[in-house]
Amino acid sequence: MSLTVLKNLSPVTRAINGALFSAMRHQSSTTDGKSASTPTEYKPYSPFQITSSDAEYVLARVDDLINWGRKGSLWPLTFGLACCAVEMMHCAAARYDLDRFGIIFRASPRQADMPDPRWVISMGSCANGGGYYHYSYSVVRGCDRIVPVDIYVPGCPPTAEALLYALLQLQRKVKNMKTLQMWYRK
Amino acid sequence: MSIIKYFGLDKIGLFFRIIKQHGGIRASLYKLYRMDELMDGTLVGTDNFGNKYFENKNNMFGRDRWVEYSPHVGMDYDGSQVSVEWYGWLHHKTDIPPPEAKKLGYSWLADPNQPNPTGTTDAYIPYSTTRPKVEPWIPKSKSQ
Repeated sequence: MSLTVLKNLSPVTRAINGALFSAMRHQSSTTDGKSASTPTEYKPYSPFQITSSDAEYVLARVDDLINWGRKGSLWPLTFGLACCAVEMMHCAAARYDLDRFGIIFRASPRQADMPDPRWVISMGSCANGGGYYHYSYSVVRGCDRIVPVDIYVPGCPPTAEALLYALLQLQRKVKNMKTLQMWYRK
Repeated sequence: MSIIKYFGLDKIGLFFRIIKQHGGIRASLYKLYRMDELMDGTLVGTDNFGNKYFENKNNMFGRDRWVEYSPHVGMDYDGSQVSVEWYGWLHHKTDIPPPEAKKLGYSWLADPNQPNPTGTTDAYIPYSTTRPKVEPWIPKSKSQ
């Protein structure tokens, strides 16, 4: 069973997970260097394309910057037992090399930045739902009964590729966070 | 082995060839930004999404075949966007690329070309097996 708690989680993200992916481009968005004359319509980098006012537009761009920083420096607190932990180590080692995504495993909660916002990845069937030990008297049947989980990685154990894919999915989720936009909306 | 190759000086030529192959300095920089590397390879085929599949046998196993995702997905590319026909070739399950192989006609391939919906509104969310942790507040409506 392996459970990874990452830094930075806002309750806001949970509510607005299905963020908008629109091909519409804001009039003044010139951040990407692609010319408009190309026949293919590019999906823009930012998921926040529809903004109703100038203030929202500015906050959306600041959110983009914050999210870019956050997704590029995920420092997970590692909590790994048994076979899943071995796959987790593979994921951080030379072949899959999590460090190229800015993901560095930290062994202490203090270094992993436990304050908000933070995310949780549940890896392996034991963490997801008890797995092999589901009917044991001394087992919590899934870590989501204690901590809210963002990404579940199925498998027993999941491959290192699977964990890597989960972390990339988490980066996608972080990219859709609307920290400042939700603050402004209040 | 020539003396140029012995000292690795042929890599200079390779560098310029790669930049030329990717369509100039500007296009190379964009590709570098998007894919984090410039790889030298031959185009094996394209799938119906516009993903391009490349091969270079000089690279080590595992890095000798790669996919360049369709340009219209931008930076939001994902492993699940690889089409089903090309998956086997890309992962060395087979050496015959799909244009030459027979088309996959399995009946159990329901919608083979559906990328991962995680993070979108189509994502699958299971029912909860636990008691709700919050008691929802039901406001009393004023009697009319």
